[in-house]
Amino acid sequence: MRPVCLETPIPPEAMAGLHVGDFLEISGVIYAGRDAVLPKIVAMSDAELAARGIDLEGSVIFHTAVSVAGVGPTTSSKIEIEESIAPLSARGVRIHLGKGRLKADSIRALHAHASLFAVTTPSTALLTDRILATEIAAFPELGMEALYRLRVDRIPAVVAIFHGESIFEQQAQRG
Amino acid sequence: MGISSEKLREATAEALVRAGSSFTPGLRAAYARALEVETDERSLWAMRQFLENADVAERRTLPLCDDTGIPHVLLEVGELAEFGGAHLGAITEGIAEGLKRLPGRPMAVLGDEVQRIEQSQGLSLHSEDVIPPAFSVKRIPGDRVRITVLLLGGGPEIRAKTYRIFHKHRLETVVDEVAQWGIEAVRELGCTPAVVAVGLGRTHFEATSLMLEAMARGDLERQTPLEQQITEKINAGGSGPLGLGGRVSVLATLVNIGPQRASGVRIASVRTCCGIEPRRATVEVG
Repeated sequence: MRPVCLETPIPPEAMAGLHVGDFLEISGVIYAGRDAVLPKIVAMSDAELAARGIDLEGSVIFHTAVSVAGVGPTTSSKIEIEESIAPLSARGVRIHLGKGRLKADSIRALHAHASLFAVTTPSTALLTDRILATEIAAFPELGMEALYRLRVDRIPAVVAIFHGESIFEQQAQRG
Repeated sequence: MGISSEKLREATAEALVRAGSSFTPGLRAAYARALEVETDERSLWAMRQFLENADVAERRTLPLCDDTGIPHVLLEVGELAEFGGAHLGAITEGIAEGLKRLPGRPMAVLGDEVQRIEQSQGLSLHSEDVIPPAFSVKRIPGDRVRITVLLLGGGPEIRAKTYRIFHKHRLETVVDEVAQWGIEAVRELGCTPAVVAVGLGRTHFEATSLMLEAMARGDLERQTPLEQQITEKINAGGSGPLGLGGRVSVLATLVNIGPQRASGVRIASVRTCCGIEPRRATVEVG
């Protein structure tokens, strides 16, 4: 199956034809954050985000640290990360990129806001040449756990949760 | 002639970099076996990504994963070796040097006890500040020192479990319980296919030590019937790589059974290592 190429900001019409199990390649500017910073982003007002040049409409948030070691997905079901999925979807984040199964509440919240959850492998070495630029977007004091703005080229992923369906639940039912 | 601290330091640093940037031949062989039996398109994609990533990491000496892990050391000291505190210091320095070279992720949490728990004072900017826990030490024949460096990522630590099993004097009871923990872990882990490391001992400490030794010494190419049985039971759950479905949730199992207590209880430590683990490398100095 050929991957669907997506460029940020992702317009609603680009999301409409996607389904659970689709291969994606994501390019453009995305945000990277995890446990420490995502609750802080959720707590910020639109004006505070705008003051830092952060626009969540049509955006992608990659659940990863950013460091000299590179990037790679962290477990998205960690409480502070998973709790950010519903409020950030409501504010325009269209793709949450990470790894691992999510709870039923998150599946419902993603569905309500027409956002999706995609997973990728921990391919840090492979991604090295696909991260074209990195800069801190907010909370530099958090070091590798700050919110980063990344310019990326064809980050590979698979749609795991969308339209109220979860690939993980499908496997659990079969198992 | 005694063991050179400088050689120990350099060998340890080299081992850490190798552990963090390459697959062992055993892990490659386990993937090759898995690719032969897997038919699911997404599962195949995920496993090929793991392998392609390992190729790039090895060729360019890059970290396999941005979570470069917490370094653990299994130290085996020859009974005829002259080995002392200065040598322990050299190994510790070698770990720090290896983290600088890899480079390791700068993820040491700053502050006093409370601040470290609450992560309120930020992180060190230095890779080498991620210090290893106490070394595991064993005696071996000869006059050499063998150092195994393991890098333990955070995802598997969320799912790992050390707990008691009422065995009812049947191995099958223990196998079923361990497999059930494994099934639950691979459903949640995210970075599968996994290698399941199992330690069975008398105490939580001993079981965990045995599990670490299984990661360090276990043979991914020659699986025992017991290890195959656990692998097959977990794979029957159908989670597959990344939880996307398929036949291979687990590449292999590594079991290490130690002394047991006269009791109806066994203590099991089960760690579902992610698809780039065990990240291990061994060097000998003497």
